[in-house]
Amino acid sequence: MLSIVIRVEGMIVVLKRPPEAGEILQGTLDMLILRTLVTGPAHGHTIARVIESTSENALEVEQGSLYPALHRLEDRGWVSSEWGASENNRRAKFYRLTNKGRKELSAASGRWRRMTRAIGLILGESLE
Amino acid sequence: MWLRRFTDRSRKDEDFAEEIESHLAHEQDVNAARGLSPREARRQAYVRFGNPRATRERVWRYRSLPWVEDLWRDLRFALRGLGKTPGFTIIAVLVIAVGIGVNTAVFSVVNTVLLKPLTYPDPQSLVELRNTGPQGSFPGANIPKFNNWHQQAKIFQQAAAYDFGGAGLNITGGDHPEQVQGVHVSADYFAMLGAPVVAGRTFTTAEDSPHGGHVTVLSYGLWKSRFGGDPHVVGSTIQLDGQSYLIVGVIGRNFVTDTPADLWVPFQFDLTSQDMAHYFTVAARLRPGVTLSQANAQLRLAADEYRRIYGKDSLPPNGGFAVVSLQEAMIGDTRSPLLVLLGSVGFVLLIACANVANLLLARASVRKREFATRAALGAGRGQIIRQLLTESLTLSLAGGLLGLILGFLGVRFLLINPGDIPRIGEDGSAVSLDIHVLLFTLGISLLTGILFGLIPAISASRPDLALTLNENGSRSGIGFRSGRLRSALVVSEMALTLVLVIGAALLIRTFVKLQAVDPGFATHNVLSMAMSVSGDRFQKTAPVAQVVRDGTDRMLAIPGVVDVGVTNCLPMAGGFSVPFDILGRPMGNGPFTGGAGFSSISWRYFNALKIPLVRGRSFTEQDDGAAPGVVMINEAMARQYWPKGDPLRDRIQIAPGAGPAFAEGPRQVVGIVGDTHDRGPGQDTFPIMYIPIAQMPDLETALNSRVAPLWWIIRSQVDPHMLAAPITAALRDASGGLPVAHIRTMDEIEARNTARQRFNMLLLTVFGTAGLLMAAIGIYGVMSYSVQQRTQELGIRMALGAQASNLRNMVIRQGMALVLIGVLVGIGGAFWLTRFLAGFLFGVKTLDPVAFLATPMLLSAVALLSIWIPAKRATRVDPMTALRVE
Repeated sequence: MLSIVIRVEGMIVVLKRPPEAGEILQGTLDMLILRTLVTGPAHGHTIARVIESTSENALEVEQGSLYPALHRLEDRGWVSSEWGASENNRRAKFYRLTNKGRKELSAASGRWRRMTRAIGLILGESLE
Repeated sequence: MWLRRFTDRSRKDEDFAEEIESHLAHEQDVNAARGLSPREARRQAYVRFGNPRATRERVWRYRSLPWVEDLWRDLRFALRGLGKTPGFTIIAVLVIAVGIGVNTAVFSVVNTVLLKPLTYPDPQSLVELRNTGPQGSFPGANIPKFNNWHQQAKIFQQAAAYDFGGAGLNITGGDHPEQVQGVHVSADYFAMLGAPVVAGRTFTTAEDSPHGGHVTVLSYGLWKSRFGGDPHVVGSTIQLDGQSYLIVGVIGRNFVTDTPADLWVPFQFDLTSQDMAHYFTVAARLRPGVTLSQANAQLRLAADEYRRIYGKDSLPPNGGFAVVSLQEAMIGDTRSPLLVLLGSVGFVLLIACANVANLLLARASVRKREFATRAALGAGRGQIIRQLLTESLTLSLAGGLLGLILGFLGVRFLLINPGDIPRIGEDGSAVSLDIHVLLFTLGISLLTGILFGLIPAISASRPDLALTLNENGSRSGIGFRSGRLRSALVVSEMALTLVLVIGAALLIRTFVKLQAVDPGFATHNVLSMAMSVSGDRFQKTAPVAQVVRDGTDRMLAIPGVVDVGVTNCLPMAGGFSVPFDILGRPMGNGPFTGGAGFSSISWRYFNALKIPLVRGRSFTEQDDGAAPGVVMINEAMARQYWPKGDPLRDRIQIAPGAGPAFAEGPRQVVGIVGDTHDRGPGQDTFPIMYIPIAQMPDLETALNSRVAPLWWIIRSQVDPHMLAAPITAALRDASGGLPVAHIRTMDEIEARNTARQRFNMLLLTVFGTAGLLMAAIGIYGVMSYSVQQRTQELGIRMALGAQASNLRNMVIRQGMALVLIGVLVGIGGAFWLTRFLAGFLFGVKTLDPVAFLATPMLLSAVALLSIWIPAKRATRVDPMTALRVE
């Protein structure tokens, strides 16, 4: 079960969807992971923390659910992985963005921007 | 690569476990840095992560295909279970393999003969032209009919005539003269059948007219064998019967005709001819959109037109023309025997299914506890049925695979001497495993797997949990329901087997009766061979008669040769028939006195075949063209046309008004000979007229030389095959170098005439025996199982004073009750089903009392034998052991 808890201005919205049905959410998580990897290879723990901290803790990833997404991305060839030593000298599996993944990221962010803009327009009008 | 998702799952899972461990370690480091104790740091890392095991399972499931996994698990389980009981598995697979094997074999023949479309383009529009009459329709045409049909451009795209290479042609000019199958065709033949031309061209209309010159088209086979596939052969010549024939084309390899042709020559009909002799067949291609009934309507008009032009005697008043699909025409009367065979192998398969279902039921009742345990552990009914069906489908597919191999070998065996089945090629070479046969075998394998698997599966999947689990051990007894089911299966096996065996008995009796028929002529140590006299040398009677005389003399000089005869129609190999008038006899209803078989023979013919002279005299060497016309008749003709009078006082006019070929005067009847079964031993004798070869009109000889060879018949003291070399040499000398072909003994020809009956009989006997064996195994299984299950009961009975013989008789009584019910049902079934065999029987009625009495007795005897063993075992039950077991 993929779950993302979104905190927006004090309100807590918990979105729970079965992974196959929640394609928007899944796609969003995929996009966030790919975006995190733009700055360079990272292991799962780092990815989870970066997503949380850069969103100013608005997005809280249940860390366990990150991995099925990572493995799916790897099967699709958007990321590649290899074992290496981490910053505190532990063994960790590092994920690296592939060219295919880079293309997917730009396509996905484009889709996301178009969608949020559309939603923003609608919300803007109705709030007036 | 989407496949990556499903590969290497175990290794990826281990890797993932390590990755999770690494993640938790990093989180722990972060927590420790916040000053938490190691223990608390670890705990909070777990909380933050969630359940690692659940996450691993999620990824594991994501990498799986659920139904494949289930199937694979069921299959592994089935294989393991079957492997644990090899005896059961082997018997079940063998029984299914036999059932499916015979079906595959028979279906592959049915597929080739009945189902495969003709190999010509657009085969549905090809039709054969028929003459219709009160007795049905028959093929055959004369030139005026061909002319009439050829002009029906409204319904036919093309119409073409062809014969079956009856006379044969001789390739001469080399060291080894060779008789080949030369088929006469009209110009449109190749275009109509869409024959592929690999070199040159086919005949032009000009080449197919009288005086069109000597031209020929070669078959692929002859082109390869005789000319080495030389591409420049077109334009060169080949010597046929001493004449140079220009080779104008070569036809491709995949052009298949039912009578294989070595080469083709044009008919060169004179379309103005009034010749009424029928000696070829006509087929046509319908115009697009024209239906059979539209064509037949048009042909009714054509028949009126024909009668108007050629006179009222040219076509009987109730006769006419019609078309049938060419495929139907080729299949002919083979359809119903093949369907009967297919039906009987269906019975064999049903018996096999019943047998395996029985075995599975026995197995399932031993495994009752296993199913109850599974159900108790939460297996749904569907899951148990699926598991059992996987097991039975595994069995049936294994049996199907083995059956395919058996069927493939079996069909070769089956086609060794099948009688004249059309479309199967030389020795059945056209019968092959194609996609239809494979699909058929796969289909019946799946169907049988479900059929014999579902019954036990459903009955086993309804266990009464508490009852079964509380009973002690798997020996808890045969449940009432499954006991009744098994009995019902045995009864149906018995009934099906009885029907098969009664059918086999009827065919065996038919064959015995046929063998007992005296053909009316000698068959032992008699050799026959064909000499084609199709060349220009033999267009007149005198040279033919000269060859006959010379050849007869030379052969009689060979030591071991007893007698020599010549004819244009070999007995039992088809012949001609013509109308005739008896002079001075008032006309009846028809235009002629009657019709009779017609054969031209040499003067020693009756001696050579030991056909007895009943009255009058036989032909002599002096009955030639210069002597007065004579004719001999057989007893059937004397009986039919002279029931009171004396034929020897009468004169006969043969084929009055049948055109110039038969223009001759009346002939005096000089002798009567014994009847011969000319249409095969199963057919009634019929009137036949014989005339001397030396006394035929020239034009009749010319026609005869085109359509029939000279058949030489040599009777010898020793095995005539040993004399074949000197005989052929003598004939070559006598004829100026003509070869002979089709060398066969009359025994072989007679055997060929009963081959169809022999084929049917052998097959049904094999099927019946297989059914009997399976039924015997079936009843043995049921009875010995029931004895085993009732050990305790038998022990108590014995302890209470029952005698061994009482127990034995009790078991036998119960077993034979099942057999009796099966026999009664079977007799009922056979009563209704044997009518489909009526067409194949000779001298036996479909409700033959011998078959209907003897067969049930045979079946009961076999059943009694298989019940005897378990019955005997029942008497050896030791009461003490039996009681202690429980």
